[in-house]
Amino acid sequence: MKKKLVSLLLAAAMVVTLVGCGDNGSTTTQDSGSNAADTNSSSDSGATGNTDATESEAAGDDIVKPEKIKMMVDGTVFTQENGRDQFIAKLEELTGIKIEVIQPDHDAYYDVVGQQIASGEWPDVLILSSTYLSSYGSEGVLWDMASAWENSDLKKRQEANNGDGVVSSMYIDGHLYGMPATHGNGCVTYVKQKWLDDAGITSLPTNYAEYYDMLLKLKEAEGVDYVVAAAGFLGAEAPFVNYLPEFYQDAWPSFYQKADGTWADGFEEDSMKAAMERLAQAVSDGLLDPETNTYGTGDVRNKYYDDSLGVFTYWAGTWASNLKNNLENNGLDGELVALSPIKEAVPPLATGASYIDRVSPAWCITTACENPEGVFKYFIEAMQDGGDVQFLWTYGVEGVHWGTDAETLYADTDSPKVYAEGEFHMKDNLETPGSQYTKAHIDPMLALTALANDPRETTVKPEALAAQALFNENSVGAFVVPSTEAMNQFNGDLMTEKSALVTRVALGEITVDEAYAEYESQGYADMSKQIVDSLNAQ
Amino acid sequence: MAEKKQKQAKPSGKKTLAKMYKYRGFYLMFLPVFVFAVIFFYAPMLGIRYAFTNYNGIREPSFVAFKNFQQMFSMQNFWTAFWNTVQISIIKLLLTTFAAVVVAILLNEIANLLFKKVVQTIIYLPHFMSWVVTASIFSLILSPSSSGLVNTFLVKLGIIDSSSMIYFLGTTKWWRFAYYLINIWKETGWQTVIFMATLAGINTDLYEAAAIDGAGRWGKMWYITFPQLRNTILTVIILNLAKVMNLFESAFVLQNDATLSVSNVLETYIYYQSFNSGSIPNYGYTTAVGLFKSLVGCVLVLVCNQWSKKVREGRGIV
Repeated sequence: MKKKLVSLLLAAAMVVTLVGCGDNGSTTTQDSGSNAADTNSSSDSGATGNTDATESEAAGDDIVKPEKIKMMVDGTVFTQENGRDQFIAKLEELTGIKIEVIQPDHDAYYDVVGQQIASGEWPDVLILSSTYLSSYGSEGVLWDMASAWENSDLKKRQEANNGDGVVSSMYIDGHLYGMPATHGNGCVTYVKQKWLDDAGITSLPTNYAEYYDMLLKLKEAEGVDYVVAAAGFLGAEAPFVNYLPEFYQDAWPSFYQKADGTWADGFEEDSMKAAMERLAQAVSDGLLDPETNTYGTGDVRNKYYDDSLGVFTYWAGTWASNLKNNLENNGLDGELVALSPIKEAVPPLATGASYIDRVSPAWCITTACENPEGVFKYFIEAMQDGGDVQFLWTYGVEGVHWGTDAETLYADTDSPKVYAEGEFHMKDNLETPGSQYTKAHIDPMLALTALANDPRETTVKPEALAAQALFNENSVGAFVVPSTEAMNQFNGDLMTEKSALVTRVALGEITVDEAYAEYESQGYADMSKQIVDSLNAQ
Repeated sequence: MAEKKQKQAKPSGKKTLAKMYKYRGFYLMFLPVFVFAVIFFYAPMLGIRYAFTNYNGIREPSFVAFKNFQQMFSMQNFWTAFWNTVQISIIKLLLTTFAAVVVAILLNEIANLLFKKVVQTIIYLPHFMSWVVTASIFSLILSPSSSGLVNTFLVKLGIIDSSSMIYFLGTTKWWRFAYYLINIWKETGWQTVIFMATLAGINTDLYEAAAIDGAGRWGKMWYITFPQLRNTILTVIILNLAKVMNLFESAFVLQNDATLSVSNVLETYIYYQSFNSGSIPNYGYTTAVGLFKSLVGCVLVLVCNQWSKKVREGRGIV
């Protein structure tokens, strides 16, 4: 007994000792709200510059070109299988900067970003979506590039191409934490023409009743299990509702600023309750696939390609061509009709029927970067230089992603594409032979700066141009929600619960009233109120 | 006499050192293991201190005493995850053990050795399949569409209507049933190994004696096989009970938004809080949850150890 007691005491002493042990100063210190000033980092990159230096150097010409940059990117940059090595080699050649790449799996990108930031091994540059921009920015992870951008040639080039508004909309409390490379873009609803013909539908729907009627007719004509699906009933990040706009209409499941300037949680409004009813009805009627619950975007695309679905809301522009090509590769009719938004689809800040133009993902510089001014000027600004570097980011590497050599490509086996010597064309996809590349990281139709000698007239297909034009004419810009302490503390749990409730209602597990009763009783309404209060207090 | 014993049990410091010198070769061989244990088992325990801080991986941790634990105990989602962990783990353990015993006994009855080996190999295979692959396969098999094998089968049998297919993995009503079934499919074969070994060790004289006494196949099974297996079954259950809090992969790959209320377990709760929250997590909070889970696990190990000593004639599990 005595021995056991001694052992227990020793074990307890060990735990207490371990708890008491702490390493001081090994982690990053940051004063929220301040710029990069006074920031110390444990990263290999060492200490960052300070604001005063940023302001003076950004305006001057004494900015030093960085020798090496560690960048963290998602799958929107060429992956290893798609010739990343050649792309990086060419980028290094053009910029004269050595590039180290961290590229996790696209679907797990933000999980890995979180791990990377927590580990203290911050990259110099990384891509972040708007969801993370304000939170990481307010915590001091990101360098404020406002001054650098305001004094840059990049701004002038963007102004000349009407692209500067996109950047201006990304300011958060006077700070600019990331530089978009393109317009945000968004999704439009594509309907298969063949299905419309089979159902005898000649006029496209303009309101929800007509849209729903179209879905019913398509289901009946094709004899399929379901007509429409999406990657989740509620998107994991802003703009949340862009894959099912006809069902959400004017509903917004998160925080937004009303016309009078006050903040509100759209999830608690009647519009959201009505949206949940519509989702449940569509699932119940066998129109909306219940497995939307678990699908990723790839799953839905595959269902669309194998003709299990006829209606699919997906990215405007280049994706119109991708969808068409993949359908034709499967021996199906590739003609698609892009629908205009139905009249009830009026998201927050819109004055009429609109799709949502998301806030573009942005290239950010971390405060661990030793030379942020240099990275901004020689890497981020160069990306939109209107010349060779922008061309590389837009079309990739000659001989790998595009070419001018004479060749025949068999994306469509019935009518192979024959290119003459000297004719610019995108090459066969390295990862999925049989389909052509359409772009590199920057979509030529969404670029913020004009590109000299841009061959897009020959590479961008008419259907992509048409879908993009339709989107541009019928979209409203999304917005960035500032980060607050309450937001950081509760919003993760809150969004998880909101998503679970929407899904359970859609699947008919619970009613809308039961969902909101649970939301209230389990304390989520209180969390929401705390976030709204914190936003209004700003 | 007692004094002499005590002296023998507690050698003096000098004697200990002398002994260590004498067996220095062994100590040298033990050194890498010791260093490994310190680095990989004990050093990470330094992280326990974050449970008493607010720490987001960016700012310096700030001491908040027991605030994270207070928050944890007040969160409905935490308690849902805790009880889900306990229920799912224990029911899964009992079901898979029961299935493994039944299959092992059936296998033991097979006279043709070649057939027996083939069957054994086939039922072992799912164990080596990753949970990600398993989840993908069963998502297809259980899909609520005409391409879903189970639903199609039920429609053909007239049990359900084609317009009311069952979404096994997407509704709280069916999720656990599907989960247990998938676990039985995946793990039963592998768990039979230990029972097969016990069965092989049963003295055949017992069966011969029972046959002489007029026992049939059921009689032999009931009066010889089951009693002989009893200790092994209890041992397997006890050993696994100690690990019930460690449940992640199988739940993570099979759960979804609609079923979180019945499928979210403590480890997936920690994961979502850490990496999938859409905002910067408080690692102090997730460490507090992890610490609580470890403490419960620790208590379970001690209880099981005591239980094991009783069942296994003094042999504990630690």
